[in-house]
Amino acid sequence: MTATLLDGIVQGLQFSLLAVGITLIYGLGGVLNLAHGQFAVFSGVAAKLLLGWGAQSVLAGIGGIIAAGLLGLLMDRSLLVPAYRYRGEERLLLGLILTLGLSFVIDGYLNYAFSEFSLTLSLPIASMQIAGIAMRTAGLVTSLIAVVVFLALFAFLRWTLLGKTIRSIIENEIGAELCGINPASTRTIIVVLATMMAGLAGIAQGLFSSLGTEMGPEFTILGLLVAVVGGVRSINGTLVAGIFLGIINAFASRYVGAYVAFIILLSVAMATILLRPNGLLARFT
Amino acid sequence: MIIQVEGIYASYGPALVLRDVSLAVSAGEAVAVIGPNGAGKTTLLRTMIGMIRPTQGRICYDGRVCTGLRAFETARLGMVYVPAEKELFPEMTVRENLELGAYRNVGDTSERLGYAFALFPRLAERRQQVAGTLSGGEQQMLAIGRALMGRPKVLLLDEPSTGLAPKMVAELYRQLAKLKADGLTMIVTEQQVPLALSLTDRAYVLEQGAIRLSGKSLDLVGNPEIKAAYLGVT
Amino acid sequence: MSVRSIFFRYADLVLLAVLLALVPVIAADSPYYLRIATLAVVYMALTVAFNLIFGHTKQLFLCLGALAGVAAYVAAVLTQELQLSPWITVPIGVFAATGLGALFSYVSVLRGLGVIFLGIVTLAFSLIFQNLVLGLRQFTNGETGLVTRGLGFGLLDHSVSAYYLFVAVLMLALLVYCVVMGSRMGFAFRALSDDELTAELSGIDVTGRKVNAAVLGSAIIGLTGTLYGFYNGIISPSLFSFVNVDIPVLISLLLGGVRTRLGPIVGAAAFAVIEEFVRPFGQLNVLVDGVLLIVLFVAFREGLVVMFRKALGIAIP
Repeated sequence: MTATLLDGIVQGLQFSLLAVGITLIYGLGGVLNLAHGQFAVFSGVAAKLLLGWGAQSVLAGIGGIIAAGLLGLLMDRSLLVPAYRYRGEERLLLGLILTLGLSFVIDGYLNYAFSEFSLTLSLPIASMQIAGIAMRTAGLVTSLIAVVVFLALFAFLRWTLLGKTIRSIIENEIGAELCGINPASTRTIIVVLATMMAGLAGIAQGLFSSLGTEMGPEFTILGLLVAVVGGVRSINGTLVAGIFLGIINAFASRYVGAYVAFIILLSVAMATILLRPNGLLARFT
Repeated sequence: MIIQVEGIYASYGPALVLRDVSLAVSAGEAVAVIGPNGAGKTTLLRTMIGMIRPTQGRICYDGRVCTGLRAFETARLGMVYVPAEKELFPEMTVRENLELGAYRNVGDTSERLGYAFALFPRLAERRQQVAGTLSGGEQQMLAIGRALMGRPKVLLLDEPSTGLAPKMVAELYRQLAKLKADGLTMIVTEQQVPLALSLTDRAYVLEQGAIRLSGKSLDLVGNPEIKAAYLGVT
Repeated sequence: MSVRSIFFRYADLVLLAVLLALVPVIAADSPYYLRIATLAVVYMALTVAFNLIFGHTKQLFLCLGALAGVAAYVAAVLTQELQLSPWITVPIGVFAATGLGALFSYVSVLRGLGVIFLGIVTLAFSLIFQNLVLGLRQFTNGETGLVTRGLGFGLLDHSVSAYYLFVAVLMLALLVYCVVMGSRMGFAFRALSDDELTAELSGIDVTGRKVNAAVLGSAIIGLTGTLYGFYNGIISPSLFSFVNVDIPVLISLLLGGVRTRLGPIVGAAAFAVIEEFVRPFGQLNVLVDGVLLIVLFVAFREGLVVMFRKALGIAIP
């Protein structure tokens, strides 16, 4: 039982890491990034290429993440420009279509050029004992990474000026402008940060099991589910939703077949949204 | 002339809201823009800071043309707008809201905080309180305090008395008088005429998008044309 | 209403019907192109439905494929297992889809779900449907597919008659759309898509209207889905997947022009043409799709119909 619970938390932290980028971009930019999963895959491909060129594994991972960030920068400064001209729902819809198109472009290219691809990173020690339960080191490492990232994100948003600036734009873009804040430049920073998170999630997947080029859509959907269940603009919510759904997934997978487990996960997600229409932690950011 | 608005025309979609509006403000002056609901007072202020683009005319601030600049750019130049909706950050504390007001010159923040808290002691008491839970009057004070954090040269206040109890309005205007005495240039729009005229040196009367009347505030008190403007009598 | 004014009101539909009717004549020697045309007509009908559900009442149903699939599978399985005639099973399939659509709409209005939230809920349902079909393989035959050849109406077994049947379905859908949009319900739609709160305060039953739109749209989807299932000869979960149905329909509607009468038609036709154009790129077709999607949306933000209106100066409905 405890093993399944721990499994669930490990998985859940992965989900949250994947989803937090979507929450950030939506909260700040008002755009739902449908290409999010593709950023995760992109970083994995970049990392593998770096490994192939002789880079040491940690550096290759970091390189992959930076690559994802650069792609995000490109996306924000070129592709999304037409969307940023509008506000609210128009921006959302146009952003949806543009990022959908981008997801096709990245997906199409990666699946074509790297069709046999898979990224698997392995650690020197395969498993460790925690409180009498054997756990894969990979799971512990990825969980640790996720926890550190979230803590850093919380600290950043709460205590730094840039973090407060970001929160202010999420809470009231007009108010922020009146304070002299340029939403567009802050937005770019967040988009880069968010896509780097996606990249990190991709590398983590490579560490945890393996990353394939076809996993893009799967990641995006998972990220969307977790982000929306968590309240789509709330970072705390994303963390809680991810862990919650991770635990559900772990228990469902353990006791029933794969199809049914996924159905249970989806149904729980649906039910949660219906019960808490503004997200799990509706009023808090 | 720290502000010169020349021949502004502005629209909301197909509706023309401002017609050939011109006004001028000298440094250190407090100027009122009064008029009935729908006259275009808010549109005027928004056009001045760049939230709305005028279809004709230009706006000069501090010796440079600033028509076409965005709101955050005019804010950085020192012309700060306090909207009627206040536009606070509801889930951030009073202190955090104020800190963000100092975004333009961060180094100054602690000194400016002291200034803001001295001006509005109530805010000091509630500095850790979340802005969304403040009362209407406190929110208005916070909005003005936040605007002051960046050492603005000009403050544009849109109907600051809206939704406030009379006692709160009196207290607010006492603080505004103090700011004026400190030399801050202000443009204040109000629906309530006596309030605006008591604070300011000069006033413009806006009716249906055009300046109907202007002059020294003292001279305008009791002027029957103002009543006519409010009642829609031509 | 005089005959003349009726004619002018529906002149575009008459013209459309004539054009569509001519297609099998032009494509007489090419069963391939006839099939493409048939599929295009199917998607046109689905897009008209989506225009009602999303275009006019802002309900982002990302489960169109699943609704069509539910209807198709219900009809096919009932026909096969219980030996019932399609005259009975098709309405049952339609009823199933309509019921689901109404349920989603009603619950989402009740719970005050925002656009994104409803989108994700319906997307989740799409995925549930996929997995349900795969999981219940003893009924549905899973990914291998359920053979439906010969189960449906005889008309559907021959390509030309099948085409005309779908054209009839499309014209019916358009007629429903026109009648609705010309009525008080259509007026209510225009009001609530502009500002829901104001519409509610003006006395419009927003909940009822949204559910109405969902019901009508889902019924069209259900009908199209069941017939398509029989026409295709075999149905499988991937036939009704999000990628194969919802994305093309979304693109078609936005490309053609939301809230216009002919938008869905123009959009779906344009999409079909683009797909044919992209086919020779083989494996890279997804990439080309993506590029085209981006370019088209930046260029034709308001949709093709609006663009044609401005370019030609004609008030295309």
